[in-house]
Amino acid sequence: MASRVSLKSRGKEGKGSKGSDEKSTAQCLKEWSTWTMKKAKVITHYGFIPLVIIIGMNSDPKPQLYQFLSPV
Amino acid sequence: MAGLVPPGTTTIPADASKAAHTKAEEKTDYMNLPCPIPFEELHREALMSLKPETFEGLRFDFTKGLNQKFSLSHSVFMGPTELPSQSAETIKIPTAHYEFGANFIDPNLMLIGRMLTDGRLNARVKWDLTDNLSVKANAQLTNEPHMSHGMVNFDYKGKDYRSQLQIGNGSLFGASYIQSVTPHLSLAGEIFWTGQHLKSGIGYAARYETDKMVAAGQVASTGMVALSYVQKVSEKVSLASDFMYNYMIGDVTASVGYDYILRQCRLRGKIDSNGCTAAYLEERLNMGLNFILSAEIDHKKKDYKFGFGLTVG
Repeated sequence: MASRVSLKSRGKEGKGSKGSDEKSTAQCLKEWSTWTMKKAKVITHYGFIPLVIIIGMNSDPKPQLYQFLSPV
Repeated sequence: MAGLVPPGTTTIPADASKAAHTKAEEKTDYMNLPCPIPFEELHREALMSLKPETFEGLRFDFTKGLNQKFSLSHSVFMGPTELPSQSAETIKIPTAHYEFGANFIDPNLMLIGRMLTDGRLNARVKWDLTDNLSVKANAQLTNEPHMSHGMVNFDYKGKDYRSQLQIGNGSLFGASYIQSVTPHLSLAGEIFWTGQHLKSGIGYAARYETDKMVAAGQVASTGMVALSYVQKVSEKVSLASDFMYNYMIGDVTASVGYDYILRQCRLRGKIDSNGCTAAYLEERLNMGLNFILSAEIDHKKKDYKFGFGLTVG
């Protein structure tokens, strides 16, 4: 029991090192969700306005490209 | 202010005396109460009159519709922006930015995106999944790390109640529930929990409305007490007053304001117990062309803000 406990604590101290295979599922989940949120933020930041424009240009009645570009 | 008439009452017939008689005789049907307004719009009428969107500097907005549902907007702003400062004096830096926006508005889906020249994005999405369930999302994304915010709301509308669940970044959770108890009165409660600051709170609210007036009150465990009263004096004029008290900090603010909705213009003004007066005028010069004047004078802090703008489309 004691050896198991010490192994786990060593695993937690060595969190930064890649070689540690004692990572708990909660940590994996947290890191994975942080990575997803970061990627989602970048995708939303660059892609939201193009998404709205694509949806709008394909709605009925379909507007023409010159209407989109002209300032009048 | 058609929203003030509760839909539960019978439609008014042409004969006025007969209408008064019918209304007096009508017994309240507690099984058919009207659906209340959403919880975040509790103080809607008071906020419309007392907190117009005053600004300082020049503002020019141009909205170009490409079809019924899709439109693009271009907006230019030049003026001083206030920086939050700890000391009593206000620090302003001059800023100028251009904002490009794309809006798609459908009965079931609404997408609004605004992108500024400094890289900030404001995105709003509202999606009605069914008649009763709708999902709303709101995000302000910046290039600076840790300065972005996002929030998702799930709203469920029942026959005479509404409930909402809110999830925000920085592990912010909130839920609210509002129920009509009589054709005029609705009661609400809300709870919230923040993970970052480890705060939680609970609040209660009540709203009483008739054709001519709306009174709303809200109490929260964060120490906030907010009361508001709006009286519709005539078709064109309504007067509003507001009282906000924080019993933890001991901060009190009372304000009184007016809202004139005339044929060609809309004029709103207010005066505050902090020595702040504001006025906001929107004048319709022509079809689709609006001229805006905004003024906010804070006598206590000696902060004078004047703005003018033009809105096209």
